[in-house]
Amino acid sequence: MDPITQRPLLLTRRHFFGRGATGIGVAALAGLLDRDLSAAASSHGGPAGLPHFAPKAKRIIYLFQSGGPSQMELFDYKPRLEEWQGAELPDSIRRGQRLTTMSATQSSFPVVPSRFRFARHGQSGAWVSELLPQTAKVVDELAFIRSMHTEAINHDPAVTFLQTGAQIAGRPSMGAWLAYGLGSETKDLPAFVVLISPGSGGGGQPLYDRLWGSAFLPTRYQGVKFRSVGDAVLYLSNPPGMDAAGRRAFLDTLAALNQVKLEEFGDPEIATRIAQYEMAFRMQSSVPELTDLSREPPQVDDLYGPDARKPGTFAYNCLMARRLAERGVRFIQLYHRDWDHHGKLPQDLPRRCRETDQASAALILDLKQRRLIEDTLVIWGGEFGRTVYCQGRLTAEEYGRDHHPRCFTIWMAGGGIRGGLTYGETDEYCYNITRDAVHVHDLQATILHCLGIDHTRLTYKYQGRHFRLTDIHGQPVRAVLA
Amino acid sequence: MPHARAVAGFACWLVGVSGAPAAGVDFRRDIRPILSEHCFACHGPDAAKRQAGLRLDQEADAKGKLPSGRRAVVAGEPASSELLRRIGATEPAQRMPPAWAGREALPERERALLGGWIEQGARWETHWSFVAPRKPEPPAVRQREWVRNPIDAFVLQRLEREGLRPSPEADRATLIRRVTLDLTGLPPTPEETDAFLKDASRGAWEKLVDRLLGSPRYAERMAVRWLEAARYADTNGYQSDGERSMWRWRDWVIDAFGRNLPFDRFTIAQIAGDMLPRATLEETIATGFHRNHRTSAEGGIVEEEFRVEYVADRVETTATVWLGLTAGCARCHDHKYDPLTQKEFYRLFAYFNNVPERGLVYNFGNEEPYVKAPTPEHLRRLEELDSKAAAAAKRWAGLQPRLAKLQASWERQLPQAEPLDWTISDGLVTHVSGDSAEEKTGGCAEAGLAPGCHLEQAPGRVGMARAFDGRRFLDAGDKANFSYLDPFTVAAWVNPAAGTGAIVSRTEEWLEGEGWAVYLMDGKVRLHITRRWTDISLRVETVEPVALDRWQHIAVTYDGYRKAAGVRIYVDGSPRKLKVLFDELTYPFGAKEPLRIGAGGGPKFHFRGLIDEVRVFKTALEPQQAAVLGLLETMNEIAALKPAARTPAHRDKLAFCYLDRFAPEEMRKTRREMLDARRERERYFESIPTVMVMRESATPRPAFVLKRGAYDAPGERVSPGAPAFLPPLDPRWPNNRLGLARWLVDRSNPLTARVTVNRLWQMLFGTGIVKTAEDFGSQGEPPSHPELLDWLACRFMDGGWDVQAMLRIMTTSAAYRQASRATPELLQNDPENRLLARGPRFRLPAEMIRDQALAVSGLLVEKVGGPPVRPYQPPGLWQELAGGRGYTEDKGEGLWRRSLYTYWKRTVAPPSMMTFDAPTRETCAVRDVRTNTPLQALQLMNDVAYMEASRKLAGRMMKEGGAAPESRIDRGFRLVLARAPGQREARLVGEAFARFRGRYGSDPKAAAELLSLGHSPRDAALDPAELAAWTAVASLLLNLDETVTKE
Repeated sequence: MDPITQRPLLLTRRHFFGRGATGIGVAALAGLLDRDLSAAASSHGGPAGLPHFAPKAKRIIYLFQSGGPSQMELFDYKPRLEEWQGAELPDSIRRGQRLTTMSATQSSFPVVPSRFRFARHGQSGAWVSELLPQTAKVVDELAFIRSMHTEAINHDPAVTFLQTGAQIAGRPSMGAWLAYGLGSETKDLPAFVVLISPGSGGGGQPLYDRLWGSAFLPTRYQGVKFRSVGDAVLYLSNPPGMDAAGRRAFLDTLAALNQVKLEEFGDPEIATRIAQYEMAFRMQSSVPELTDLSREPPQVDDLYGPDARKPGTFAYNCLMARRLAERGVRFIQLYHRDWDHHGKLPQDLPRRCRETDQASAALILDLKQRRLIEDTLVIWGGEFGRTVYCQGRLTAEEYGRDHHPRCFTIWMAGGGIRGGLTYGETDEYCYNITRDAVHVHDLQATILHCLGIDHTRLTYKYQGRHFRLTDIHGQPVRAVLA
Repeated sequence: MPHARAVAGFACWLVGVSGAPAAGVDFRRDIRPILSEHCFACHGPDAAKRQAGLRLDQEADAKGKLPSGRRAVVAGEPASSELLRRIGATEPAQRMPPAWAGREALPERERALLGGWIEQGARWETHWSFVAPRKPEPPAVRQREWVRNPIDAFVLQRLEREGLRPSPEADRATLIRRVTLDLTGLPPTPEETDAFLKDASRGAWEKLVDRLLGSPRYAERMAVRWLEAARYADTNGYQSDGERSMWRWRDWVIDAFGRNLPFDRFTIAQIAGDMLPRATLEETIATGFHRNHRTSAEGGIVEEEFRVEYVADRVETTATVWLGLTAGCARCHDHKYDPLTQKEFYRLFAYFNNVPERGLVYNFGNEEPYVKAPTPEHLRRLEELDSKAAAAAKRWAGLQPRLAKLQASWERQLPQAEPLDWTISDGLVTHVSGDSAEEKTGGCAEAGLAPGCHLEQAPGRVGMARAFDGRRFLDAGDKANFSYLDPFTVAAWVNPAAGTGAIVSRTEEWLEGEGWAVYLMDGKVRLHITRRWTDISLRVETVEPVALDRWQHIAVTYDGYRKAAGVRIYVDGSPRKLKVLFDELTYPFGAKEPLRIGAGGGPKFHFRGLIDEVRVFKTALEPQQAAVLGLLETMNEIAALKPAARTPAHRDKLAFCYLDRFAPEEMRKTRREMLDARRERERYFESIPTVMVMRESATPRPAFVLKRGAYDAPGERVSPGAPAFLPPLDPRWPNNRLGLARWLVDRSNPLTARVTVNRLWQMLFGTGIVKTAEDFGSQGEPPSHPELLDWLACRFMDGGWDVQAMLRIMTTSAAYRQASRATPELLQNDPENRLLARGPRFRLPAEMIRDQALAVSGLLVEKVGGPPVRPYQPPGLWQELAGGRGYTEDKGEGLWRRSLYTYWKRTVAPPSMMTFDAPTRETCAVRDVRTNTPLQALQLMNDVAYMEASRKLAGRMMKEGGAAPESRIDRGFRLVLARAPGQREARLVGEAFARFRGRYGSDPKAAAELLSLGHSPRDAALDPAELAAWTAVASLLLNLDETVTKE
């Protein structure tokens, strides 16, 4: 088709959040901006026709546990491992599957059972280990998937796969897809917000900006990292010596000057720029309002625990996630780092659990009590599981586990999810899946499904191809859907 | 009959749908894109996925008989064409594209086009970009006086066809700012602007363009886009994202643009400079292009998986940058849209597959292959140091005859002198002689027991030795805590009673633990240096075992270069043949355990036998030193030997001892100077940057089709070669990377020249003639001005691939010089300005926005090339994602260099660049992206970099703009926008100044705060309240839409 005669879809109007023209003080812009929003596109510039069907959830809080939490110590109870303690992992189980080069050349692969005790909880009777006592109290809200599996065996490709649907960088992240597909429910905050807590160990695998990047989707759909040091959003604060009144006057003059130009040139990009400066000004109050916890009642401290008001902790980020959810942010992505327990697992894993257990459960309870749980999908999990065999030295006090892509456990809760369910099974070694395998693309299809999206139809044409989050795979897991 | 219905329907479209062309359907323009978008996925080049045996990307197949007996396309017979029946079918089961695949029916207009095309004879043409361009004649146009060069004829012809007229020429101030930004990335100074406004001569514009093309700034500006295409960065990417050093390649690129290296030669150097006959260092450096891709240092990865990724990246980048092809689509299967098969992908892959490289790279510097890449400045300094070292060596050599005499007379008195012994002590960290019953630290220990046991002594090689019983060992304290870049030496006399045991170690108490250790293993002397046993360690042993129950001297040296090749093991002073067991020491290590003698690696490795005279050095001893260390004869005894009976080690020991203890101070000083000069030269040489480059292995690695693109699923073996739909390589060229490079820029290649001039066009006009600058294939957008593109491509090749000449002809066209004001009609009908009825107007790229602020404020430090710099960045950005030490801002000029020198960490790219849509440098990027977001507003208003620039700009307005506010405002506009303010603008800014002046006059603290931002000194001569108010005004100017826009 001739690129000119075929009137192009106007994607040049880079509205950052939703409909950029509403609520701004400059006259005559609305018309210009609205004109861009051609009938073929939705109001935020994304594709038309979404959601594809009635959504159960409107937003997502993804509690990503980076590094690969051990399924055997947390959720997937394997009593027989006690008997096999120290015995060599049978070849019939390992089946020659590939291992990382960190453990592939070990002289032996001794089985090591969980050091931690398990019990059944709630009406559903879900197994949870003693490391997660608070999570154990909300199991009836959760759907555990014990049969997750992935294709990647190292962190970078595995995290990238889970978040973008491809192991190699270059695809949009899940949050960017949702921002593109569904836009935002707020005009004062980004549609896709990222919150990071490092874990008290200060170590763990690094994260990287591209995990919340938009890749080939327009950059306005990328995640905005809310930081715990300095400005929550980069460059949010006025410089010292410029107060809010001064900034307002500054913006009024700026808008007037830009308006002169707009009248002369008629370039709608100028109108957009004026609108974006107004949006920036609004963020200067909406973001501090968001992060101001002074009006949160004292009960939140009991609920989320002692870290609730400590920026940079997982508990603080969970509380922030609830506040973002209340304000209509579409995709709230948390990362807690340092779950990569190759060694010293008995010492380090309990620390990560202490940092996350209470706040994860608190978030569920808090959302429930505010009736937000009904349309908020919460997901907890890492990028892969851990091996049943010991990596490194197995002693009475110490062991470690290598990466294991063949099975791991996650949980989901809230809008669209059937609580009190445990789905999928693994073998007695917690090595291979024996029933109801759920691939990463299946999980992604399920998540999109909860938001009313047919994962095969949320696509974006780039380099001549219609890309989607689930590549050419994936099936929603009907059994976990409410 | 379905047929009848379809035909009836078809007739309806032709007459009934407005806008559907009844005649003049063009296959390339109108039909192929429809087939490509809607049909090729199942009926295209990919043989594996082809449905119903129908192939629509090739004429013979599309018109041939199908397995079903029907024909998809019957020329001139819409009623017999199955294609039309199926796209028009109303039953979902019949309709194409199929509903079951989630595809909508074709829009009426497209069905009408297909119908019209078949009706008109279904003429077929090869995809436009796969046919070599032929230089078209510039077309005849009506408004001939507008045409300045052939570009304009093509542009105007299209405008006239659309019933449009070009815009008038922009005013001169706009023009000089436009072209100066376009060609140098920086704005014109007010003086440059004035000079141009005054220059009434004919050719003033051409003169201006030539001045700009000749500026060193031009090269820097051009380099930025190329760095983005080349995915250049200062770190490796992936999650570990360690540092690399590629800036010498970056500077090669700047230099190449500066000397206007023709693009064909530029290409050959980038792809295969190393393979040119008698390749120079510079030509080799150029090949860093294909080492710029990301590399992984993540522990545990499967090497081959990532090495394959690197090679694939080279193919995909080459295809995007030179060919405008999305080759990556053919990595797992045949391309769905373009005639590139999976096998052909791997034939291209074979060209880039022969680099002697690893999949798991070093995380703290360049990975092999790399070369030392001295700059001329480095070479000059190196020469200086060389002559200094040579002079010192000469002075030292000059002393030798005298020294020999002195030493000889010293030797002569030795046999009668007091007993004298001596051995090497330079760099000694610890010496455990075994003579004393007690040790100063730790002492005897036994695994699992409290310290305080007793270690037996026995007659040793020198005095007493320790006797080890296989349980007890000596804890020698917190010493010798080396890491992987520390050289060291471990030496001892051993008299083993068993073949296996640890001699000296500093390691965890299990064999695979972290640390270093020297063992006997089945009699062989072995060194372990371990971070993680399975993948980050180094293990070397002697081929031959030592003898049991006999004293032998052992010395193990490691040079601190983390390779097994840097290990030597000496037994009784002579170097032994070594076997490398593992050679992957890529990461620092450390051990909390103490230095142990007779133990290491756990109870199984406790030593049995005698150990004496343990010495650990923090240097790697030279072979002569190792030999001397194992020599027991005293100086007196050696001196008593007849010279002929002395071994080289004897002679060395005498000489070393004399120099160390007895030579006259003046001689020792001369020797120290000689050694210092040599070391200084070595250290300087070490500091010279390296750059990763391409290299060919002596034996090419075999290449295979990788099924599903997977590294571990090799299929058919393939040889290197060009895709069949493009011309073959000339048989006179070698069929290797160099041949491929020549092929890329051969006159017969239909793509490279088009793709390249299109990028240049995009740089000036905002959008390419082909909008999808990265995709000239079937799914890319066809050119808006196909003849113009071909004319430019041919002109480019005919003119010797002269980039500056192309930019000259583009910028001197009337099309480029149009005013960029848009009428509402034009905005409505051509919002993206593809018809070019007006001049380009779009937001500046990221680096220009910052560079411009630095330039107009006077902060910019102009210095071409050099290591990357670290300008302002909010604290904590690196740590919050990756921990570690994080980012350290530069002090001084690094804060104010042009943005192309900013340190680029891939996983946390510089926010000032990312906010303004710079590509991430993860993979090749060639299309410009421009967004308009509140984060940009926040950055321009609040970032210290822009506030500092505002303060400095304010200072210039005050000092250069006279005393009156009006004239200062005027100066500000001229500095930033190359023009005077309009009346309304001057009034608005004047009022804003008055307000700020009032505010800061009454609040000196606020003024002081505002002026405190940035490290550049504040001009104390300027009144703080005034300066603060002007700073706010300057910030206003830097935030204007016009400022961040090229008009």
